[in-house]
Amino acid sequence: MVKPIITVEHLFAQYGDTQVLKDVNLEVNPGEILVVMGGSGSGKSTLLNHMLGLKTPVSGTIMIDGVNIFTAKSKQLRHLRQKMGVAFQGGALLSSLTVADNVRLPLEQNTSLDTQTIDIMVRMKLELMNMAGTGHMMPSELSGGMLKRAGLARAVIMDPKLLFFDEPSAGLDPTTAVELDELILTLRDAMNMTIVVVTHELESVFKIADRVVVLFNGEVVANGTVDEIKNSPDERIQNMINRQPNTYRDDGEVYFNRLLDKDNI
Amino acid sequence: MNIEIEQQNNYQVVKLYGEVDLSNSRSIKLDIIKLIKSKNNVIVDFTHLQYIDSSGMASLVEAFNEAKENHTEFHIVGANGSPLQVLQLTRLNTVFNLADSVGAVTHNG
Amino acid sequence: MTALFNAISNLGAATRKNIDSLGLATMFLLRIVSSLFTGLVSFKQVLKQIYFIGNRSLIVIIVAALFTGMVVALQFYDTLVRFGSVDLLGSAVALSLIKELGPVMTALMLIARVGSATCSEIGIMRNEQQFDALDCMAINSYRYVMLPRLLAALICVPILTAVFDLVGISGGYIVGVHIQGENPGAYIQGVLDTISFKDVLVGQIKSLVFGLFIMWIPLYYGFYLHLNQKNMGAEGVSNGTTQAVVMSAIIMLFSDYIVSSLAL
Repeated sequence: MVKPIITVEHLFAQYGDTQVLKDVNLEVNPGEILVVMGGSGSGKSTLLNHMLGLKTPVSGTIMIDGVNIFTAKSKQLRHLRQKMGVAFQGGALLSSLTVADNVRLPLEQNTSLDTQTIDIMVRMKLELMNMAGTGHMMPSELSGGMLKRAGLARAVIMDPKLLFFDEPSAGLDPTTAVELDELILTLRDAMNMTIVVVTHELESVFKIADRVVVLFNGEVVANGTVDEIKNSPDERIQNMINRQPNTYRDDGEVYFNRLLDKDNI
Repeated sequence: MNIEIEQQNNYQVVKLYGEVDLSNSRSIKLDIIKLIKSKNNVIVDFTHLQYIDSSGMASLVEAFNEAKENHTEFHIVGANGSPLQVLQLTRLNTVFNLADSVGAVTHNG
Repeated sequence: MTALFNAISNLGAATRKNIDSLGLATMFLLRIVSSLFTGLVSFKQVLKQIYFIGNRSLIVIIVAALFTGMVVALQFYDTLVRFGSVDLLGSAVALSLIKELGPVMTALMLIARVGSATCSEIGIMRNEQQFDALDCMAINSYRYVMLPRLLAALICVPILTAVFDLVGISGGYIVGVHIQGENPGAYIQGVLDTISFKDVLVGQIKSLVFGLFIMWIPLYYGFYLHLNQKNMGAEGVSNGTTQAVVMSAIIMLFSDYIVSSLAL
């Protein structure tokens, strides 16, 4: 059995007084695609932020490639982060730099490669994302889909071991979303990347996931393969799969009172 | 990462062993370009190469360009496994003249 | 009674919150300064910021200085003429500009222009997760984003203040000599005689201190935009910018008094 490359143990997180993550445990194996799924407010973005070391939890540990990210020294953390690529939801490109300068940034800051080598690498990655020739454009000139692809080009420019996606298909048209799914699969196969995808798009999930973790209200309610999730007896998961809203089982009287309650606005 | 350079017929064969990544791609590039600038035909042997990253690929593109400008030959042979997949993913298999082995090049050359 | 207790506890909470903010802002500044020692700051970035703060503010500063100098001369002339001391016009204009109006007016113009633009820019970066992205790329945002702006401010503000002083004094000359018909020699001599090195030094020190606040405060408000949950989105950026501009102005005027009283 290969050792997991990411382990999350007993993670508890809070925003002010609200418990956002409750005893989250999960593992990611090297070379697999793990999808973290859940509706809005399920805590999946918070989980991602903790995995990236952007937030610290109330309690719990996260080990990535042998490094405890919450207790690591800054040099260790820097070293680890250079092996991690993150594709943020809106691309998160720096607004004052061109697309090419954005993609180039990790290489410029963290390596001593020649400028010509870096230029070629940038072009290669833009070609891979179907963005050839857009290097001179500013982020403000790009469409949502192009922003995501530019952000992805930057995320993979250093050929990271680990790749994280925050809602990759959000706001994309179906064709581009499918292309992105194919790209994710290719990155796993050709580059041997371990990929963590946070999403709520079902089609993507079933297509790309090796394993799925389902979050509901900050708790892990399912953790298994796509088939195991599909056959889960949990009603909430079945609702999610069948796109049914979780119906309230209140009776008419309670509903009526809620409609007239002055404080219920 | 080990690198062996030996002469075969009128080619300099650069055998790569192990992995090419950010830590060594630049020095390998400089070695190969030095050979090219001395008017050598170069064959880069991927047979024992287990992994090559984008910086390695970009370095080879630069070397290939240098060879074109110097009017010397540049071949990549023996690509297999992950490096072959990377060549296909980056579509560089259409750029370089890939051959199966050193012999395939030297016997035709 | 409850209203009174509420008022007191709200005051207490506000005070605690403000002390928290002060502490956070100080740590923020310390991180920016210490990032200077973690590696080379990007010279290119600093130049870019100098262009943005310095070059692009030049016209505004010159226009403001001209009119300020002219109106100061006008007002002084009116008073001095009653005492028959019009030959003091040059000294009066120069002293008030170099010691006080130069630094303060320059700072106010820059707070309006540079402070608001900076806070918005940094706030938007925060909103769009650009700082998260920098953290994940193992790039020090303090060194890469904040430090160039702070250094550029410390370089540009004293220079712009000096420009303001010169243009203002010239504006006074135009009013005193060409409009009111005073002796040009007297004006210029008045300027040269009265201004001591200490006056200029104090003015420049003020502008340096103002420069620090002009950049530090907007950077802080923009960077920590997300701490106030209600502050996300476009409205949040706009709120933060307003707060930053107002706070910068108030603190600048407060430090103006402190430096002035220390200098005398």
